Amino acid sequence: MPNVITANNLTLGYENDEEIIKNATFSIKKGDFVFITGPSGSGKSTLLKSFYGNLAPSSGSLVVGGLDMVGINKKNLQELRTHLGIVFQDYKLINEWTVEKNVVLPLWISGYSTEVQETQAKRLLHHVKLSGKEHKYPLELSGGEQQRVGVARALAKNPFLILADEPTGNLDEYSSNVIWDLMENAYHQLETTVVVVTHRIPMVFNIPYRHFTIDENGSIYEVH
Amino acid sequence: MKFIKQHISLIFPLIAILLGLEFFIVFDRTTDSFEKGLQEGYSMIVVSKDEMSIDDFRAWDSHIKQVKELEKSKILKRLNIDEDKEKHLKSSLPNFYSLKLDSYLTVDELESVKSNLQKSSNILSIETFQSAYQSKYELFSFIKFSFQTFIGFMTIIGFFLIVKQMEVWNFLHAQRMKVMEIFGASLFLRSKVLINMALIDAVISAIITSWLFYLFKNSWVQGSQMEILKENIDGVFKFSDIFILLFAAITVVLIAVFLVVINIKEE
Repeated sequence: MPNVITANNLTLGYENDEEIIKNATFSIKKGDFVFITGPSGSGKSTLLKSFYGNLAPSSGSLVVGGLDMVGINKKNLQELRTHLGIVFQDYKLINEWTVEKNVVLPLWISGYSTEVQETQAKRLLHHVKLSGKEHKYPLELSGGEQQRVGVARALAKNPFLILADEPTGNLDEYSSNVIWDLMENAYHQLETTVVVVTHRIPMVFNIPYRHFTIDENGSIYEVH
Repeated sequence: MKFIKQHISLIFPLIAILLGLEFFIVFDRTTDSFEKGLQEGYSMIVVSKDEMSIDDFRAWDSHIKQVKELEKSKILKRLNIDEDKEKHLKSSLPNFYSLKLDSYLTVDELESVKSNLQKSSNILSIETFQSAYQSKYELFSFIKFSFQTFIGFMTIIGFFLIVKQMEVWNFLHAQRMKVMEIFGASLFLRSKVLINMALIDAVISAIITSWLFYLFKNSWVQGSQMEILKENIDGVFKFSDIFILLFAAITVVLIAVFLVVINIKEE
């Protein structure tokens, strides 16, 4: 299987700050389901941000979807992002937009027709068990429901890579289990690659997965 | 109600700026012709030993636009003297000229014209009517300065209100734009909502300002006793001003939108 993400001696850090991730070398192949864990502040989210170009590598190399993330230009970065599905701990929904419009955001950005957007929205909202809530606004939904909207949005364009940053971090156990189920289903249905940053890997998980961990020093190890 | 609330906060400062701009245009047009009237109505009198042509005068100062010789016979006729005496006086009288200038000069410039002409040994005397000129000039300058200060003040307030509105936009639109950026939206797509809203406001503001000036021209000016405005009523508001106002409004809002958009950084 080809690599979806390849990192060689990757070092990440913020401006005028110390290095957070140091000399990381790893690769994630197409079809992998990867959990990245580590203590708070170890750089899990920082690493994930670098995968969607929110943070440029300080040194080393990082290739995502065949694109070198070192010095990537805006146009290529925008193009890459339209093929990614990203789920956030704080959902990052657009509060003044309806649930339906939030879900089809990636399709809207890519210029899909209104008909395609409507059909996809219906299918995705059915998939995340939110049928009938198309015209609600995010703030009218519970946290768990908002995250399901976030997951539906991430799946809207059949992305080649799904990135999830603490997707259950703000949710109760029941809602968390619903989200993990959705991630498993998405993985099976889309045959995609999934990278999840989390504090804790779920107890029951029915997919063989790879597990990376980051220690306090910013070094990355593959646990299994 | 929500629509009005969303738009009024930009429309109001935009109208303030556009009113300032249109007042400036109208003021410039009307004072231009008033200034022309003052300039045309003004002339200085020069007395010379020998006859002088316009080129002779212009050799001393380039502001001289027109020279008119005052006929001695006409002056002498007023004295009601007999023909012999008139002939004798005519030959001994110097030449009188009325000079018109090329623009409405400042008092200092007028003084400089006088001193340049005085350098000619042929010129015996110059009357600039400086005190009448000065009082008219100073009054005119004062009105012009006061009005321009008022316009400038209005525009500054308008700009401050727009800066305030930009902060509000930043607050209202940042979240949406950041999310859209994460999902790969281009700069244009991210700012589309804001651009549309700002353009609508620009059009509304230009229409309201044009309408206010149309009313000003067709009801207030016509009924007023202000000759300066009545004489130049066509210059108070022209149809082409709508496009000037529209262009100005669109330029201001697009700059404001651009500044807001480039300042919204991805988290």
